[in-house]
Amino acid sequence: MSQAGDLARNMNGELRIVWEEFKKNLKILLCYPVIWGFWAIFPILWVLPLIFQGKALVGGLSSQAFENLTGTDNYLAFVLIGAIVSTYAMSSLWGMGQSLREESYWGTLELILTAPIRPLPILIGKAMLESGFATVGALIQAAIFSFFLGVDLSFGKILPVLFIMILLLLGLYGAGLALAAITLLIKESRGLVNTLNWVFYLFSPIRYPVEVNPITKIVSLAIPLTYALFAIRSILLLNTSIRELWVSVLLLILFDIGLIWGSYYVFLRVERRVRKTGTIGMY
Amino acid sequence: MDRITHYLQAMWAENIKEWKIELSYKFDFARSLVEPFVYVLPYLLFGIAVVGGRSSESLFKLIGTEDVITFVVIGYLFMGFLNTALWGMGFALRKEQFYGTLESVFVAPVPRWVYVGGMALHSTIHQGLIILIQMVLLQCIFHLLIDVSGLLPAMGVVALMLVALYGIGMLVASLALIFKAGWIIAEALHSVISIVTPIAYPLAVLPLFLRKASYFFPTTYGILTIRHFLIGENMGFSVGTSLLRLSLLCVGWAAFGLFIFSVVDRKTRREGTLGHY
Repeated sequence: MSQAGDLARNMNGELRIVWEEFKKNLKILLCYPVIWGFWAIFPILWVLPLIFQGKALVGGLSSQAFENLTGTDNYLAFVLIGAIVSTYAMSSLWGMGQSLREESYWGTLELILTAPIRPLPILIGKAMLESGFATVGALIQAAIFSFFLGVDLSFGKILPVLFIMILLLLGLYGAGLALAAITLLIKESRGLVNTLNWVFYLFSPIRYPVEVNPITKIVSLAIPLTYALFAIRSILLLNTSIRELWVSVLLLILFDIGLIWGSYYVFLRVERRVRKTGTIGMY
Repeated sequence: MDRITHYLQAMWAENIKEWKIELSYKFDFARSLVEPFVYVLPYLLFGIAVVGGRSSESLFKLIGTEDVITFVVIGYLFMGFLNTALWGMGFALRKEQFYGTLESVFVAPVPRWVYVGGMALHSTIHQGLIILIQMVLLQCIFHLLIDVSGLLPAMGVVALMLVALYGIGMLVASLALIFKAGWIIAEALHSVISIVTPIAYPLAVLPLFLRKASYFFPTTYGILTIRHFLIGENMGFSVGTSLLRLSLLCVGWAAFGLFIFSVVDRKTRREGTLGHY
Protein backbone atom coordinates (compact mmCIF):
# COMPACT_ATOMS: atom_id res chain seq x y z
CA MET A 1 0.00 0.00 0.00
CA SER A 2 2.79 2.41 0.92
CA GLN A 3 4.68 1.43 -2.24
CA ALA A 4 1.60 2.25 -4.29
CA GLY A 5 1.33 5.54 -2.42
CA ASP A 6 4.98 6.40 -3.18
CA LEU A 7 4.44 5.57 -6.83
CA ALA A 8 1.37 7.83 -6.97
CA ARG A 9 3.28 10.65 -5.24
CA ASN A 10 6.21 10.25 -7.67
CA MET A 11 3.83 10.24 -10.58
CA ASN A 12 2.10 13.39 -9.30
CA GLY A 13 5.45 15.07 -8.81
CA GLU A 14 6.59 14.24 -12.33
CA LEU A 15 3.30 15.37 -13.85
CA ARG A 16 3.75 18.66 -12.02
CA ILE A 17 7.24 19.01 -13.48
CA VAL A 18 5.83 18.37 -16.95
CA TRP A 19 3.18 21.04 -16.35
CA GLU A 20 5.63 23.59 -14.95
CA GLU A 21 8.02 23.03 -17.85
CA PHE A 22 5.12 23.41 -20.27
CA LYS A 23 4.10 26.69 -18.60
CA LYS A 24 7.65 28.02 -18.55
CA ASN A 25 8.17 27.36 -22.27
CA LEU A 26 4.75 28.79 -23.09
CA LYS A 27 5.66 32.01 -21.26
CA ILE A 28 8.88 32.26 -23.25
CA LEU A 29 7.07 31.57 -26.51
CA LEU A 30 4.43 34.22 -25.72
CA CYS A 31 7.22 36.78 -25.47
CA TYR A 32 7.73 36.31 -29.21
CA PRO A 33 4.20 36.60 -30.68
CA VAL A 34 5.54 36.97 -34.22
CA ILE A 35 6.71 33.35 -34.06
CA TRP A 36 3.12 32.10 -33.76
CA GLY A 37 2.00 33.92 -36.87
CA PHE A 38 5.11 32.94 -38.76
CA TRP A 39 4.72 29.20 -38.28
CA ALA A 40 1.02 29.29 -39.04
CA ILE A 41 1.35 31.09 -42.37
CA PHE A 42 4.81 30.71 -43.85
CA PRO A 43 4.95 26.94 -44.43
CA ILE A 44 2.09 27.46 -46.89
CA LEU A 45 4.00 30.26 -48.62
CA TRP A 46 7.06 28.01 -48.99
CA VAL A 47 5.00 25.85 -51.32
CA LEU A 48 4.23 28.71 -53.72
CA PRO A 49 7.55 28.48 -55.62
CA LEU A 50 6.80 24.83 -56.42
CA ILE A 51 3.34 25.77 -57.67
CA PHE A 52 4.69 28.57 -59.86
CA GLN A 53 7.44 26.25 -61.05
CA GLY A 54 4.93 23.54 -61.97
CA LYS A 55 2.79 26.11 -63.76
CA ALA A 56 5.76 27.36 -65.77
CA LEU A 57 6.92 23.87 -66.69
CA VAL A 58 3.60 22.27 -67.70
CA GLY A 59 1.46 25.33 -68.35
CA GLY A 60 -1.26 24.38 -65.83
CA LEU A 61 -2.06 22.90 -62.43
CA SER A 62 -2.25 19.25 -63.47
CA SER A 63 0.36 16.98 -64.93
CA GLN A 64 -0.02 13.62 -66.67
CA ALA A 65 3.61 12.70 -65.89
CA PHE A 66 2.92 13.44 -62.22
CA GLU A 67 -0.18 11.23 -62.26
CA ASN A 68 1.84 8.37 -63.70
CA LEU A 69 4.11 8.56 -60.66
CA THR A 70 1.67 9.32 -57.86
CA GLY A 71 -1.83 8.40 -58.96
CA THR A 72 -2.96 12.04 -58.85
CA ASP A 73 -2.33 14.74 -61.41
CA ASN A 74 -2.96 17.44 -58.79
CA TYR A 75 0.61 18.38 -57.88
CA LEU A 76 -0.65 21.43 -56.03
CA ALA A 77 -2.51 19.35 -53.42
CA PHE A 78 0.41 16.92 -53.31
CA VAL A 79 2.94 19.57 -52.29
CA LEU A 80 0.55 21.36 -49.92
CA ILE A 81 -0.08 18.16 -47.95
CA GLY A 82 3.67 17.58 -47.91
CA ALA A 83 4.23 21.09 -46.54
CA ILE A 84 1.71 20.81 -43.72
CA VAL A 85 2.71 17.32 -42.57
CA SER A 86 6.43 18.00 -42.82
CA THR A 87 6.25 21.28 -40.89
CA TYR A 88 4.32 19.48 -38.20
CA ALA A 89 6.80 16.63 -38.11
CA MET A 90 9.94 18.77 -38.25
CA SER A 91 8.82 20.82 -35.28
CA SER A 92 9.34 17.75 -33.13
CA LEU A 93 12.93 17.35 -34.27
CA TRP A 94 13.72 21.05 -33.96
CA GLY A 95 11.88 21.52 -30.70
CA MET A 96 13.39 18.57 -28.90
CA GLY A 97 16.81 18.80 -30.49
CA GLN A 98 17.27 22.47 -29.69
CA SER A 99 15.49 22.59 -26.34
CA LEU A 100 18.53 21.71 -24.23
CA ARG A 101 20.80 23.92 -26.33
CA GLU A 102 18.51 26.86 -25.63
CA GLU A 103 18.71 26.17 -21.90
CA SER A 104 22.46 26.19 -22.36
CA TYR A 105 22.30 29.63 -24.07
CA TRP A 106 20.08 30.97 -21.30
CA GLY A 107 22.52 29.67 -18.71
CA THR A 108 19.91 27.41 -17.08
CA LEU A 109 20.98 23.98 -18.32
CA GLU A 110 23.18 23.17 -15.34
CA LEU A 111 20.42 24.20 -12.94
CA ILE A 112 17.93 21.92 -14.68
CA LEU A 113 20.18 18.92 -14.91
CA THR A 114 21.41 19.19 -11.33
CA ALA A 115 17.88 19.56 -9.91
CA PRO A 116 16.79 16.51 -7.88
CA ILE A 117 14.47 15.27 -10.63
CA ARG A 118 14.67 13.04 -13.68
CA PRO A 119 15.26 14.98 -16.93
CA LEU A 120 12.61 13.02 -18.84
CA PRO A 121 9.57 14.94 -17.47
CA ILE A 122 11.30 18.18 -18.43
CA LEU A 123 11.74 16.97 -21.99
CA ILE A 124 8.15 15.73 -22.08
CA GLY A 125 6.99 19.18 -20.96
CA LYS A 126 8.98 20.77 -23.77
CA ALA A 127 7.66 18.21 -26.27
CA MET A 128 4.06 18.84 -25.21
CA LEU A 129 4.33 22.55 -25.86
CA GLU A 130 6.07 21.95 -29.17
CA SER A 131 3.37 19.53 -30.33
CA GLY A 132 0.55 21.80 -29.13
CA PHE A 133 2.10 24.74 -30.95
CA ALA A 134 2.64 22.65 -34.10
CA THR A 135 -0.95 21.35 -33.96
CA VAL A 136 -2.40 24.86 -33.92
CA GLY A 137 -0.18 25.77 -36.88
CA ALA A 138 -1.14 22.65 -38.82
CA LEU A 139 -4.86 23.25 -38.20
CA ILE A 140 -4.62 26.81 -39.52
CA GLN A 141 -2.72 25.60 -42.58
CA ALA A 142 -5.23 22.80 -43.19
CA ALA A 143 -8.10 25.29 -42.96
CA ILE A 144 -6.42 27.58 -45.51
CA PHE A 145 -5.66 24.58 -47.70
CA SER A 146 -9.22 23.28 -47.55
CA PHE A 147 -10.71 26.72 -48.19
CA PHE A 148 -8.62 27.53 -51.26
CA LEU A 149 -8.46 24.09 -52.86
CA GLY A 150 -11.83 22.75 -51.86
CA VAL A 151 -10.25 19.49 -50.62
CA ASP A 152 -12.71 17.40 -48.65
CA LEU A 153 -11.64 17.40 -44.98
CA SER A 154 -14.70 15.58 -43.67
CA PHE A 155 -14.77 13.84 -40.29
CA GLY A 156 -14.43 10.45 -42.01
CA LYS A 157 -11.08 11.54 -43.44
CA ILE A 158 -9.82 13.66 -40.55
CA LEU A 159 -9.87 10.81 -38.01
CA PRO A 160 -7.65 8.41 -39.98
CA VAL A 161 -5.33 11.31 -40.88
CA LEU A 162 -5.05 12.23 -37.19
CA PHE A 163 -4.33 8.61 -36.36
CA ILE A 164 -1.48 8.52 -38.87
CA MET A 165 -0.15 11.85 -37.59
CA ILE A 166 -0.09 10.58 -34.00
CA LEU A 167 1.84 7.49 -35.11
CA LEU A 168 4.30 9.68 -36.97
CA LEU A 169 4.78 12.13 -34.12
CA LEU A 170 5.37 9.42 -31.51
CA GLY A 171 8.33 8.14 -33.47
CA LEU A 172 9.67 11.58 -34.24
CA TYR A 173 9.47 12.75 -30.64
CA GLY A 174 11.37 9.58 -29.80
CA ALA A 175 14.04 10.59 -32.30
CA GLY A 176 13.93 14.11 -30.81
CA LEU A 177 14.91 12.61 -27.46
CA ALA A 178 18.05 11.15 -29.03
CA LEU A 179 18.80 14.53 -30.58
CA ALA A 180 18.45 16.21 -27.20
CA ALA A 181 20.96 13.71 -25.86
CA ILE A 182 23.36 14.41 -28.71
CA THR A 183 23.06 18.12 -27.92
CA LEU A 184 24.34 17.38 -24.43
CA LEU A 185 27.27 15.57 -25.96
CA ILE A 186 28.35 17.68 -28.95
CA LYS A 187 26.79 20.97 -27.71
CA GLU A 188 25.87 22.51 -31.08
CA SER A 189 23.35 20.10 -32.58
CA ARG A 190 21.69 22.69 -34.82
CA GLY A 191 23.74 21.36 -37.71
CA LEU A 192 22.74 17.79 -37.03
CA VAL A 193 19.05 18.67 -36.82
CA ASN A 194 19.41 20.73 -39.99
CA THR A 195 21.06 17.84 -41.77
CA LEU A 196 18.35 15.47 -40.65
CA ASN A 197 15.83 18.02 -41.82
CA TRP A 198 17.35 18.05 -45.28
CA VAL A 199 17.69 14.29 -45.45
CA PHE A 200 13.95 14.19 -44.84
CA TYR A 201 13.31 16.88 -47.46
CA LEU A 202 15.47 15.16 -50.01
CA PHE A 203 14.58 11.52 -49.47
CA SER A 204 10.95 11.56 -48.41
CA PRO A 205 8.05 12.62 -50.64
CA ILE A 206 7.52 16.04 -49.05
CA ARG A 207 8.06 18.16 -52.13
CA TYR A 208 8.19 15.68 -54.99
CA PRO A 209 7.33 12.02 -55.61
CA VAL A 210 10.38 9.98 -54.62
CA GLU A 211 9.53 7.45 -57.35
CA VAL A 212 11.04 9.87 -59.88
CA ASN A 213 14.56 8.67 -59.01
CA PRO A 214 15.65 5.12 -58.09
CA ILE A 215 18.02 6.31 -55.31
CA THR A 216 15.47 8.52 -53.57
CA LYS A 217 12.89 5.76 -53.94
CA ILE A 218 15.07 3.24 -52.07
CA VAL A 219 16.37 5.62 -49.36
CA SER A 220 12.86 6.92 -48.66
CA LEU A 221 11.87 3.46 -47.42
CA ALA A 222 13.99 4.01 -44.29
CA ILE A 223 12.16 7.22 -43.31
CA PRO A 224 8.86 7.02 -41.37
CA LEU A 225 7.67 10.28 -42.91
CA THR A 226 7.45 8.49 -46.28
CA TYR A 227 4.82 6.06 -45.00
CA ALA A 228 2.89 8.77 -43.19
CA LEU A 229 2.79 11.02 -46.26
CA PHE A 230 1.83 8.13 -48.51
CA ALA A 231 -1.03 7.17 -46.20
CA ILE A 232 -2.28 10.74 -45.67
CA ARG A 233 -2.22 11.56 -49.39
CA SER A 234 -3.95 8.28 -50.19
CA ILE A 235 -6.74 9.12 -47.74
CA LEU A 236 -7.16 12.75 -48.78
CA LEU A 237 -6.53 12.64 -52.51
CA LEU A 238 -7.32 9.07 -53.59
CA ASN A 239 -10.13 8.29 -51.08
CA THR A 240 -8.33 5.17 -49.87
CA SER A 241 -9.65 3.67 -46.62
CA ILE A 242 -7.36 3.19 -43.62
CA ARG A 243 -7.90 -0.59 -43.82
CA GLU A 244 -6.20 -0.67 -47.21
CA LEU A 245 -3.22 1.18 -45.71
CA TRP A 246 -2.49 -1.40 -43.02
CA VAL A 247 1.09 -1.98 -44.21
CA SER A 248 1.97 1.70 -43.76
CA VAL A 249 0.29 1.75 -40.34
CA LEU A 250 2.15 -1.37 -39.22
CA LEU A 251 5.49 0.03 -40.37
CA LEU A 252 4.84 3.31 -38.55
CA ILE A 253 4.09 1.40 -35.34
CA LEU A 254 7.34 -0.55 -35.71
CA PHE A 255 9.26 2.69 -36.31
CA ASP A 256 7.66 4.16 -33.16
CA ILE A 257 8.68 1.24 -30.97
CA GLY A 258 12.24 1.27 -32.29
CA LEU A 259 12.72 5.03 -32.14
CA ILE A 260 11.23 5.56 -28.67
CA TRP A 261 13.04 2.64 -27.09
CA GLY A 262 16.37 3.31 -28.82
CA SER A 263 16.31 7.07 -28.18
CA TYR A 264 15.44 6.74 -24.50
CA TYR A 265 18.33 4.33 -24.09
CA VAL A 266 20.70 6.75 -25.86
CA PHE A 267 19.47 9.64 -23.72
CA LEU A 268 20.08 7.80 -20.45
CA ARG A 269 23.57 6.71 -21.52
CA VAL A 270 24.60 10.19 -22.70
CA GLU A 271 23.17 11.94 -19.69
CA ARG A 272 25.13 9.66 -17.34
CA ARG A 273 28.26 10.29 -19.37
CA VAL A 274 28.09 14.08 -19.38
CA ARG A 275 27.38 14.12 -15.66
CA LYS A 276 30.40 11.91 -15.02
CA THR A 277 32.74 13.88 -17.30
CA GLY A 278 31.44 17.24 -16.03
CA THR A 279 30.94 18.71 -19.50
CA ILE A 280 27.33 19.85 -19.09
CA GLY A 281 28.19 23.54 -18.84
CA MET A 282 30.60 23.61 -21.76
CA TYR A 283 29.73 25.40 -24.99
CA MET B 1 43.04 57.60 -45.19
CA ASP B 2 44.17 56.28 -41.80
CA ARG B 3 40.60 56.02 -40.72
CA ILE B 4 39.64 53.96 -43.77
CA THR B 5 42.59 51.62 -43.17
CA HIS B 6 41.48 51.34 -39.56
CA TYR B 7 37.94 50.43 -40.63
CA LEU B 8 39.18 47.92 -43.18
CA GLN B 9 41.36 46.30 -40.52
CA ALA B 10 38.38 46.05 -38.22
CA MET B 11 36.32 44.44 -40.98
CA TRP B 12 39.08 41.96 -41.71
CA ALA B 13 39.40 41.14 -38.01
CA GLU B 14 35.65 40.51 -37.88
CA ASN B 15 35.93 38.24 -40.91
CA ILE B 16 38.78 36.25 -39.34
CA LYS B 17 36.91 35.99 -36.02
CA GLU B 18 33.87 34.52 -37.82
CA TRP B 19 36.02 32.00 -39.68
CA LYS B 20 37.58 30.90 -36.40
CA ILE B 21 34.16 30.44 -34.78
CA GLU B 22 32.77 28.57 -37.78
CA LEU B 23 35.79 26.32 -38.15
CA SER B 24 35.58 25.30 -34.51
CA TYR B 25 32.26 23.59 -35.38
CA LYS B 26 33.69 21.43 -38.16
CA PHE B 27 30.58 19.37 -38.76
CA ASP B 28 28.47 22.50 -39.12
CA PHE B 29 31.00 24.04 -41.46
CA ALA B 30 31.07 20.97 -43.72
CA ARG B 31 27.29 20.90 -43.68
CA SER B 32 27.08 24.54 -44.71
CA LEU B 33 29.07 23.71 -47.84
CA VAL B 34 26.91 20.76 -48.86
CA GLU B 35 23.47 21.78 -47.64
CA PRO B 36 22.59 24.23 -50.45
CA PHE B 37 23.30 21.44 -52.93
CA VAL B 38 20.84 19.21 -51.10
CA TYR B 39 18.38 22.11 -50.94
CA VAL B 40 18.20 22.53 -54.69
CA LEU B 41 17.66 18.84 -55.52
CA PRO B 42 13.97 18.59 -54.50
CA TYR B 43 13.18 21.46 -56.88
CA LEU B 44 14.99 19.69 -59.70
CA LEU B 45 13.31 16.37 -58.99
CA PHE B 46 9.93 18.08 -58.69
CA GLY B 47 10.56 19.69 -62.10
CA ILE B 48 11.42 16.34 -63.64
CA ALA B 49 8.34 14.74 -62.02
CA VAL B 50 5.86 17.27 -63.41
CA VAL B 51 7.43 17.46 -66.87
CA GLY B 52 8.33 13.79 -67.14
CA GLY B 53 11.88 14.61 -68.30
CA ARG B 54 14.39 17.44 -68.60
CA SER B 55 12.85 19.45 -71.44
CA SER B 56 9.76 21.59 -71.06
CA GLU B 57 7.88 22.90 -74.07
CA SER B 58 5.95 25.31 -71.86
CA LEU B 59 9.19 26.81 -70.49
CA PHE B 60 10.51 27.20 -74.03
CA LYS B 61 7.42 29.19 -75.01
CA LEU B 62 7.85 31.47 -72.01
CA ILE B 63 11.59 32.23 -72.06
CA GLY B 64 13.14 30.63 -75.12
CA THR B 65 15.01 27.82 -73.36
CA GLU B 66 13.68 24.36 -72.57
CA ASP B 67 16.27 22.87 -70.21
CA VAL B 68 14.52 22.70 -66.83
CA ILE B 69 17.63 21.63 -64.90
CA THR B 70 19.98 24.40 -66.04
CA PHE B 71 17.23 27.00 -65.65
CA VAL B 72 16.42 26.01 -62.06
CA VAL B 73 20.01 25.37 -60.98
CA ILE B 74 21.28 28.80 -62.05
CA GLY B 75 18.39 30.49 -60.27
CA TYR B 76 19.03 28.70 -56.99
CA LEU B 77 22.83 28.92 -57.19
CA PHE B 78 22.99 32.70 -57.38
CA MET B 79 20.06 33.17 -55.09
CA GLY B 80 22.41 31.78 -52.43
CA PHE B 81 23.80 35.31 -52.04
CA LEU B 82 20.54 36.29 -50.43
CA ASN B 83 21.69 34.23 -47.44
CA THR B 84 24.70 36.54 -47.19
CA ALA B 85 22.44 39.50 -46.59
CA LEU B 86 19.77 37.92 -44.46
CA TRP B 87 21.63 35.37 -42.36
CA GLY B 88 25.24 36.48 -42.58
CA MET B 89 24.50 40.13 -41.81
CA GLY B 90 21.00 40.15 -40.40
CA PHE B 91 21.49 37.40 -37.88
CA ALA B 92 25.01 38.47 -36.95
CA LEU B 93 23.94 40.77 -34.13
CA ARG B 94 21.65 38.20 -32.59
CA LYS B 95 24.51 35.70 -32.59
CA GLU B 96 26.74 38.14 -30.73
CA GLN B 97 23.93 38.57 -28.26
CA PHE B 98 23.80 34.81 -27.68
CA TYR B 99 27.57 34.75 -27.17
CA GLY B 100 27.22 37.63 -24.70
CA THR B 101 29.58 39.81 -26.74
CA LEU B 102 27.18 42.25 -28.44
CA GLU B 103 27.78 45.07 -25.96
CA SER B 104 31.57 44.59 -26.16
CA VAL B 105 31.48 44.70 -29.96
CA PHE B 106 29.27 47.78 -29.97
CA VAL B 107 31.52 49.80 -27.66
CA ALA B 108 34.59 49.12 -29.83
CA PRO B 109 36.06 52.36 -31.31
CA VAL B 110 34.61 51.88 -34.82
CA PRO B 111 31.17 52.73 -36.22
CA ARG B 112 28.67 49.89 -35.90
CA TRP B 113 28.27 49.55 -39.66
CA VAL B 114 31.92 48.51 -39.81
CA TYR B 115 31.06 45.51 -37.69
CA VAL B 116 28.15 44.58 -39.98
CA GLY B 117 30.41 45.22 -42.98
CA GLY B 118 32.91 42.72 -41.56
CA MET B 119 30.13 40.18 -41.30
CA ALA B 120 29.14 40.93 -44.90
CA LEU B 121 32.72 40.39 -46.02
CA HIS B 122 32.93 37.07 -44.23
CA SER B 123 29.55 35.93 -45.44
CA THR B 124 30.27 36.85 -49.06
CA ILE B 125 33.50 34.83 -49.07
CA HIS B 126 31.77 31.90 -47.36
CA GLN B 127 28.79 32.03 -49.72
CA GLY B 128 31.08 32.35 -52.75
CA LEU B 129 32.85 29.18 -51.67
CA ILE B 130 29.51 27.38 -51.24
CA ILE B 131 28.32 28.46 -54.69
CA LEU B 132 31.58 27.35 -56.29
CA ILE B 133 31.32 23.87 -54.71
CA GLN B 134 27.67 23.62 -55.67
CA MET B 135 28.36 24.64 -59.23
CA VAL B 136 31.10 22.04 -59.65
CA LEU B 137 28.95 19.28 -58.11
CA LEU B 138 25.88 20.14 -60.15
CA GLN B 139 27.90 20.49 -63.34
CA CYS B 140 29.40 17.02 -62.77
CA ILE B 141 25.99 15.44 -62.12
CA PHE B 142 23.68 17.25 -64.52
CA HIS B 143 26.01 18.61 -67.23
CA LEU B 144 24.52 22.09 -67.21
CA LEU B 145 24.19 23.70 -70.62
CA ILE B 146 25.65 27.17 -70.05
CA ASP B 147 27.34 29.71 -72.28
CA VAL B 148 30.84 30.02 -70.78
CA SER B 149 31.39 33.43 -72.40
CA GLY B 150 28.56 34.75 -70.25
CA LEU B 151 30.35 33.95 -66.98
CA LEU B 152 32.29 37.21 -66.73
CA PRO B 153 29.33 39.56 -67.30
CA ALA B 154 27.31 37.33 -64.95
CA MET B 155 29.92 37.92 -62.22
CA GLY B 156 29.58 41.66 -62.79
CA VAL B 157 25.84 41.36 -62.25
CA VAL B 158 26.46 39.36 -59.05
CA ALA B 159 28.70 42.18 -57.74
CA LEU B 160 25.99 44.75 -58.46
CA MET B 161 23.31 42.59 -56.86
CA LEU B 162 25.48 42.14 -53.75
CA VAL B 163 25.63 45.89 -53.09
CA ALA B 164 21.85 46.05 -52.95
CA LEU B 165 21.70 42.89 -50.85
CA TYR B 166 24.08 44.44 -48.32
CA GLY B 167 21.55 47.25 -47.95
CA ILE B 168 18.84 44.69 -47.21
CA GLY B 169 21.23 42.99 -44.78
CA MET B 170 21.74 46.27 -42.88
CA LEU B 171 17.98 46.67 -42.68
CA VAL B 172 17.51 43.17 -41.27
CA ALA B 173 20.37 43.64 -38.81
CA SER B 174 18.72 46.79 -37.47
CA LEU B 175 15.29 45.17 -37.28
CA ALA B 176 16.85 42.34 -35.29
CA LEU B 177 18.02 44.94 -32.77
CA ILE B 178 14.42 46.03 -32.22
CA PHE B 179 12.50 42.76 -32.46
CA LYS B 180 15.25 40.55 -30.96
CA ALA B 181 14.00 37.32 -32.63
CA GLY B 182 16.09 38.21 -35.67
CA TRP B 183 15.74 34.83 -37.33
CA ILE B 184 12.02 35.42 -37.87
CA ILE B 185 12.71 38.63 -39.78
CA ALA B 186 15.45 36.99 -41.82
CA GLU B 187 13.32 33.91 -42.52
CA ALA B 188 10.19 35.91 -43.39
CA LEU B 189 12.06 38.24 -45.72
CA HIS B 190 13.90 35.29 -47.24
CA SER B 191 10.57 33.56 -47.91
CA VAL B 192 8.98 36.64 -49.48
CA ILE B 193 11.98 37.47 -51.66
CA SER B 194 12.32 33.82 -52.71
CA ILE B 195 8.69 33.75 -53.84
CA VAL B 196 8.71 36.96 -55.85
CA THR B 197 12.14 36.34 -57.40
CA PRO B 198 11.91 34.26 -60.59
CA ILE B 199 14.31 31.58 -59.32
CA ALA B 200 12.70 28.45 -60.76
CA TYR B 201 10.05 30.09 -62.94
CA PRO B 202 9.80 33.09 -65.24
CA LEU B 203 8.20 36.35 -64.09
CA ALA B 204 5.31 35.70 -66.46
CA VAL B 205 3.74 32.99 -64.26
CA LEU B 206 3.55 35.23 -61.17
CA PRO B 207 0.23 36.93 -60.39
CA LEU B 208 0.36 40.61 -61.30
CA PHE B 209 0.70 41.92 -57.72
CA LEU B 210 3.64 39.60 -57.04
CA ARG B 211 5.25 40.57 -60.33
CA LYS B 212 5.01 44.23 -59.34
CA ALA B 213 6.46 43.46 -55.91
CA SER B 214 9.36 41.59 -57.53
CA TYR B 215 10.52 44.79 -59.26
CA PHE B 216 11.57 46.18 -55.86
CA PHE B 217 14.10 43.42 -55.18
CA PRO B 218 17.59 43.28 -56.67
CA THR B 219 17.42 39.49 -56.91
CA THR B 220 14.78 39.74 -59.65
CA TYR B 221 17.03 41.68 -62.03
CA GLY B 222 20.13 39.85 -60.77
CA ILE B 223 18.82 36.34 -61.47
CA LEU B 224 17.13 37.25 -64.76
CA THR B 225 20.23 38.98 -66.13
CA ILE B 226 22.61 36.26 -64.96
CA ARG B 227 20.41 33.65 -66.65
CA HIS B 228 20.22 35.83 -69.74
CA PHE B 229 24.01 35.81 -69.97
CA LEU B 230 24.39 32.12 -69.18
CA ILE B 231 21.47 30.45 -70.97
CA GLY B 232 20.02 33.20 -73.13
CA GLU B 233 16.79 33.65 -71.17
CA ASN B 234 14.41 36.11 -72.76
CA MET B 235 13.80 38.60 -69.93
CA GLY B 236 11.07 40.68 -71.51
CA PHE B 237 13.24 43.83 -71.30
CA SER B 238 16.75 44.76 -72.47
CA VAL B 239 20.00 44.08 -70.58
CA GLY B 240 20.56 47.84 -70.35
CA THR B 241 17.16 48.37 -68.70
CA SER B 242 17.84 45.54 -66.28
CA LEU B 243 21.26 46.89 -65.30
CA LEU B 244 19.91 50.40 -64.89
CA ARG B 245 17.11 49.21 -62.60
CA LEU B 246 19.54 47.05 -60.65
CA SER B 247 21.87 50.04 -60.18
CA LEU B 248 18.99 52.16 -58.91
CA LEU B 249 18.04 49.42 -56.48
CA CYS B 250 21.67 49.28 -55.28
CA VAL B 251 21.63 52.97 -54.40
CA GLY B 252 18.14 52.79 -52.89
CA TRP B 253 18.61 49.70 -50.74
CA ALA B 254 22.13 50.62 -49.57
CA ALA B 255 21.04 54.13 -48.54
CA PHE B 256 17.84 52.86 -46.90
CA GLY B 257 19.67 50.08 -45.05
CA LEU B 258 22.36 52.41 -43.69
CA PHE B 259 19.80 55.04 -42.70
CA ILE B 260 17.57 52.59 -40.81
CA PHE B 261 20.59 51.01 -39.16
CA SER B 262 21.86 54.35 -37.83
CA VAL B 263 18.38 55.33 -36.59
CA VAL B 264 17.82 52.00 -34.82
CA ASP B 265 21.33 51.96 -33.40
CA ARG B 266 20.77 55.39 -31.82
CA LYS B 267 17.33 54.39 -30.55
CA THR B 268 18.44 51.15 -28.85
CA ARG B 269 21.38 52.93 -27.21
CA ARG B 270 19.20 55.74 -25.92
CA GLU B 271 16.60 53.35 -24.56
CA GLY B 272 19.22 50.99 -23.21
CA THR B 273 17.59 47.96 -24.85
CA LEU B 274 20.68 46.70 -26.62
CA GLY B 275 21.24 43.85 -24.20
CA HIS B 276 17.57 42.80 -23.98
CA TYR B 277 16.52 39.36 -25.17
